[in-house]
Formats: sequence, structure tokens, C-alpha cells
Amino acid sequence: MIRAIRANFGSPQIAIACAVVLLALFLLTVLAPWIAPHDPIQVNLAHKLSPPSWEYPLGTDHLGRCMLSRLLYGARVSLGFASLIFISSLGIGLLIGTLSGYIGGWMDYVLMRFCEGVMAFPSLVLVLGLVGVFGPGLAQVVLAMVLVQWVYYARMFRGMVISLKERNFIAAARISGSSQWNIIRRHIIPNVLPPIVVMGTLEIGWAIMDIAALSFLGLGIQPPSPEWGSMIHEGKAYIRSNPELMMYPGLLILLIVVMFNLLGEALSERLGVKKRFGKDGELKWYRRSRYWK
Amino acid sequence: MSLLQVENISHTYRSSNRLWRSGSLTTVLSHVSFEIERGQCLGLLGSSGAGKSTLGKVILGLEQPRQGRIIFQGHDLYYADTRAARQLRRDLQVVFQDCYSSVNPRMSAEQIIAEPLNNYEKLTRDEGKRRVGELLEAVGLKADDMRKYPHAFSGGQLQRINIARAIALKPKLIVLDEAVSSLDMVNQTRILSLLSELKATFGLSYLFITHDIKAAHVISDSLAVMDKGQIVEHCRDKSGLADSAHPAVRELFASVLPEHPRDRGLGRESAIKQ
Repeated sequence: MIRAIRANFGSPQIAIACAVVLLALFLLTVLAPWIAPHDPIQVNLAHKLSPPSWEYPLGTDHLGRCMLSRLLYGARVSLGFASLIFISSLGIGLLIGTLSGYIGGWMDYVLMRFCEGVMAFPSLVLVLGLVGVFGPGLAQVVLAMVLVQWVYYARMFRGMVISLKERNFIAAARISGSSQWNIIRRHIIPNVLPPIVVMGTLEIGWAIMDIAALSFLGLGIQPPSPEWGSMIHEGKAYIRSNPELMMYPGLLILLIVVMFNLLGEALSERLGVKKRFGKDGELKWYRRSRYWK
Repeated sequence: MSLLQVENISHTYRSSNRLWRSGSLTTVLSHVSFEIERGQCLGLLGSSGAGKSTLGKVILGLEQPRQGRIIFQGHDLYYADTRAARQLRRDLQVVFQDCYSSVNPRMSAEQIIAEPLNNYEKLTRDEGKRRVGELLEAVGLKADDMRKYPHAFSGGQLQRINIARAIALKPKLIVLDEAVSSLDMVNQTRILSLLSELKATFGLSYLFITHDIKAAHVISDSLAVMDKGQIVEHCRDKSGLADSAHPAVRELFASVLPEHPRDRGLGRESAIKQ
């Protein structure tokens, strides 16, 4: 099966399958309050560590809370906040990268030295440090991650803007009397956007893992709110008697991250993003920088 | 009064600063002066690196020269106030050599040609469409083509779109920066005759920058030759250039291939083999 997946890596069938499953998951998270069988934080010590049953389809944890409900509500945190992190850091990165690349000069110099400074550290270490300063909590984690992530986007967009700026159609637009703002809005931004679909799918996968990792360390969302990372943390104590407490959230994280990556791979193949932007190195550089984070 | 007066333009490029020493200066233009009269076409010849394109950029207002003045319709282009500069820009348009990079790949032909119109004229949607259609027909394309995107056009067609954008505002002067050099011979001839036609219809003036002496002969009224950032020969009468003795001019003439392979100085056999 692994061989079959590798052979079809990036094929439309796999991408469609991933997209369908991810969409279904997304729907489930949105509908969690209506379909979850129990309140995810309701403690019921009479039922603690019970095996799967009709009442508790995936059993209960050490405090007798319904696992299925906790997983469903946990997906809201993971998917929702991962998208939030992606969108806000993308927005900040796009703004600063475009201005930096387009205007250039000392502003570009200062901003890019700052970005390089941030990129010199592994991003997870920086996020850990920032969360240490801000204090634990989901909002602080999101803020810290956005503060660290935007530099990667800014660097990438700056590179793309600089190579675009030299193209004749920018000069032609200036000669046609377009204002600087219109040139950025109508000529620069539409030409740097195509890779973001691919980046989005990869980035959300990373963000889900980072949120889970920070929650596992006790820095993210605080108990009793359900979150996959903190569920793994809580299940850790029962790894010998009830390994499924760790396995359910762990497998879900694995599944979702793998599916996002497969989808991203197929999309970049399909949209020709790799051909157009991999060649110039921006997307390639971006992916490598994310890989070594 | 001439339409465009280029007065004593000098320009240098500074290579970027290294870690310990400042960059060196390269002179690209030194003391260039000439004039273009209304309705005339000046062919600016020269080999690569002679400073032709930099001069084009300076005239278009894209790059401020270190020294000298560009007087366009009686106003200094670089020291006019913002309003006047905007009006001057309107009468000064460009067609670049690389037709593919001159158009935004994410805009349709209609959006490309309508861009200057929208910047200077308040047109309603229908009126804008009608104007774009007229312009497309004026450059020999179909009005239906306005919905297509650049990838659906050939090089020659794209260059026609660039020309349509350049003439959209009915400018006084168009800088043709190697505008036909990247096209094949057939398209070159077609575009050149289109340009001559448009010049007669709209009373345009051209600055025709090229390294192709034949193309320059076809379209220009007068010719100038640049070498190493200077104008080394300026003939008001284009046939006068053949008499010039300057080595840069002779080199340009020598680079023109004779019509028939037999006359190209190769043996007959090698010509046949080729």
C-alpha cells in the first residue's frame, strides 16, 4: 500500500480523496456541538477508562470524559487555529514582504536583517521562548506563532516582488500613469498569490503539529479544554493500561498532516506552481526553510 | 519648438557597495544631446551596451539622469510639478522589446489596453469596451480578442497589444525600445508597416531604438548612432549615414548580411551546404 501511495504521490485521485476527507473533518468540527454525544469536559468518575460502548463510542479517559466528543472539539482548536495562524502570518508577511521588495532601500535592509535574525533560530524554539514570556494559553501560542511565522512569508514574497519589479509590465504601468498603489494592487499582488494555495496546505499541517506540540508541553490550551496535544499528554500516564488514549489523537494528527501534505503536493503539481515558482527558487527555498525549521 | 529636446544628458551606474569598498562608477551616457521634431521618427542605432536603452529610460522618466535636461513639449520632465508631469507622461508612451514580459500575465487584453485609459479618462464600462475594441482593430487584431489572456497570443500579436496600449491615449511621442527585434522577419515587416501607418494617422513621433540598421532605414526620417554612451553620428537625412567614416557606423553596416548567400563572402559550396 505504501508503494501504491508513493507511485501515485501527487496524483489527482489521492488529492481528491484527501480533500474529501479533510472537508468531511472540517464539517465535523463545525458541527461538533450538535453531533458530539457528550459534553467534552463533563467529568464522570463512575465511567472512567471505560472501553468503547454504545454510549461512549471510543471509550472514556481517566476522568470519565467521552473520548469521541473530546476529539471532535479538539479538532476545532487544531484546524481552526492552524488556519488562523496561517492566514494572519500570511497577511502580515505579504504586506511587509511586498512593501520591502517594492520600495527597497534602507527600509528593505532593516526589515530583512530583522527577518534573518528571526530565521537564525529554529522557529519552535523561538515560539517556546515567546510563549514563556507571554505566559501559557491558546491566544498567546497563536500570537507567538504568528510573530515568528510571518518572516518566512515576508522573505519569500520579497524575493518574488523583486524579480517581478524588473519586468517590463511594471515599467509600462508606470508610464501608463498608474499610481504606485495601483501597481502594487493590480500588478504585483496578483502575480505573487498563486503559490499560497500550496503553501497553505503545507503550512496548516505544520501549524497543527506545532499547536499540538506546545499543548503537549502544557503551554497551549489549558485543561480541561480538549485539544489533541494535551490529550496525548494526559493519556501518557496510562500508556501501559490504556494506550488508545494517546493513540486516537496521535493518529488523527498524523492522518491530517499527511493528508494536507499529499494535497499540497498534488496541488502544486496540478496548478503548475512548482514549474513556475520552483524554477525561480522561491517556493523551493520556502519549502526547504520550513523543512529545517 | 521641437517636441523633445535632450540636452547634455550624462548618466552613470554605481555598482553595489562591497563590504569594505564603495562600488565603482560606470558611465553609460555622456553628454548626449538631440532633438525630435513633431511627426518625425528618429532611429537610434548602436550595438549592445552602447547606452540606447538607458537613454530610452531616461527619456521616459523612469530613471533620473545625473546631469542634463529632458525638455518635452517645453517642460522639463524631471522638474515639472506633479500635475504637469502627469500630463506630460500622458503624451509619452513606450513599446518594449520583450513583448511577453511587457504584459501582466494575469490581465486580459482588455484590462491591459484599458489601463492607461482608466488612469487618465473617466470612461463608462461600455465606452471603455468600445475604445479597446477600436484600438485592437487599429492594430490589426479582432475586437473579440479583448477577452483573451496573454498566453493565448503569439509574439507578434502581443506586440500589437503593446502598441495598442501605447497609442490608447493618443500620445505625441512613443519610444520603441527594440520593439521589433524579438520578432521574426515576417512579423517585423508587418509591425513596421503598422507603425508607419499609425504614425501617419495619429501624427505620432517615434524614437526608434534598434541595432538593426535595415529596420531603422524603413521607418526613420533621421538616424543617430550611439557608441559607448555618446552619439557619434547624427544624420538628418537617413541616406547620409552610409557616407560616415566612424568605425562604429562602419561596423553596423558590416553586420548587415547581403540578401543572397552567394554574396556573403563564403565559398559557393559552403553556402550550399548551409
